[in-house]
Amino acid sequence: MDGARLQISGLYCGYATPDRGIVPTLDGIDLSLNRNEFVSIIGPSGCGKSTLFNVIAGLLSPGSGEVALDGKEIVGKPGHVAYMMQRDLLLPWRTVLENVVLGPELAGRPMVEARNRALALLRRFGLEGYENAYPSALSGGMRQRAALLRTVLCDRSVVLLDEPFGALDALTRATMHEWLLGIQREFQQTMILITHDPDEAVYLSDRVYVATPRPMRFAGIVPIDLAYDRTSDVTMTPEFAHHKRQVLGLLRGDKGASDALH
Amino acid sequence: MSVQGKRLPSGISRIGDAALPLAIMFALLVVWEAAVHLLAIKSYVLPAPTAIIKELVASGPTIILPQLKATLIETLAGYGLAVAVAAVLSILILYSSAFRRGVLPLIIASQTVPVITMAPVLVIWFGYNSLPRIIITALVAFFPLTISTVTGLRSLEPQFIDFFRSLNATPSQIFFKLRLPVALPNIFAGLKVATTLAVIGATISEWVGASQGIGYLIAQDTAQLNTTRVFASLTVLGISGMALFGLVGLVERLSMPWIHARPSLAWLRGLRSGSRPDGAALRSY
Repeated sequence: MDGARLQISGLYCGYATPDRGIVPTLDGIDLSLNRNEFVSIIGPSGCGKSTLFNVIAGLLSPGSGEVALDGKEIVGKPGHVAYMMQRDLLLPWRTVLENVVLGPELAGRPMVEARNRALALLRRFGLEGYENAYPSALSGGMRQRAALLRTVLCDRSVVLLDEPFGALDALTRATMHEWLLGIQREFQQTMILITHDPDEAVYLSDRVYVATPRPMRFAGIVPIDLAYDRTSDVTMTPEFAHHKRQVLGLLRGDKGASDALH
Repeated sequence: MSVQGKRLPSGISRIGDAALPLAIMFALLVVWEAAVHLLAIKSYVLPAPTAIIKELVASGPTIILPQLKATLIETLAGYGLAVAVAAVLSILILYSSAFRRGVLPLIIASQTVPVITMAPVLVIWFGYNSLPRIIITALVAFFPLTISTVTGLRSLEPQFIDFFRSLNATPSQIFFKLRLPVALPNIFAGLKVATTLAVIGATISEWVGASQGIGYLIAQDTAQLNTTRVFASLTVLGISGMALFGLVGLVERLSMPWIHARPSLAWLRGLRSGSRPDGAALRSY
């Protein structure tokens, strides 16, 4: 057993247009993710990162390729991974508590247990006292934390995060990074993050996949060699700067800048 | 930490909101009263408001209210029928593209026929009872309700559906836990409009082949130039219509408690397609 939890190989995807034939969006994507790992995919806007996530989440069937979770094929089968989309997508007619237990509720799991678990976690997610508030009463950061709590409570072995902090201000974002990393370590989550922020990618990840513009393929993989228990101080170190330079070099298409080509 | 404290004192502002229109209505009534007396307008042309009130007191309990019962029964039965028809049609329009392409255009085209004019035909078909009037009432009320329901059900931002699908939600979960709540404001808007239409449909349909009801009474009184009692009946109808409207409004408030926490439709922003704000604007409210 190689321990790979999520194994993506040879993923091709495209859509048909009347005048240009098939326009490819994913052009041979390989990615493997081990238990409790945090990897990021960084690339320019509109490069097809969200398409990749939609394929992994089973919402979209690729032209060809395989997605296996714990050795089981999950192409076109939704419900196997937890997916936190760009927008928090909290339901305004539900209170915070009712929102975060949506996963167990839709799966038909016992609600009392789910609610108790959610209540116990509210403090860790900075939402204590807000369980009966409607999302409209929450700040942007709180909404994202509620959305993440909902994602964690889905109890999936892999969590997909699609630019979850894209709309937050820089200060809130930095706080959220540290907090997210704590959550990921504490709850033993296996996470893939889509971002276009190199600092975010390097700080949070064990590995950074750098994507090319449409059609998307990986220009390279940068292994992040930073301490497992890192705080935001690490962003000031030469190692951090080195990794960021590698990522930026690959993003520019400057292959010589990286010693981590594949 | 109190979240409740963020609520606006909506009760107070509501009284303030009502004061101005009430004052304007009172002023209009004063002008009306003065005009009738100063210009010596005959009561069969335009009765004074005080005369209408006197008539209401005199014949209201004995003559008008017994007739109101028949009209209200037709209104409520027709309204219920309209709601049932609108619910079925909305589901068909939402989920069946064949129905949407094949039948919906015909329904829309049929709306160009003034439904009220079908009352005599329906009397021929169903006889001199309340059934033709219930059908007319339903025919008048169902269409706007259907349209607003469908508009609401189809307004959902597709990302929410993707999100629900990623959780492996069933189609019925997507409908009841997602589409329906998003559509509620439209559905209630349609339900409110339908109350007023139902009252109109029931009353007018009583002009043909009826032997009871407020519409019947109005037709009789008009023939006898008893204009004062016509206005008294209209007042009773107006109050009944407002009561039905208010009742639906009350149900609306009770079924959408999250609106109180946010006294506007701001909660719909970003939830609906076509009006999608950018992320920053969405999170700042």
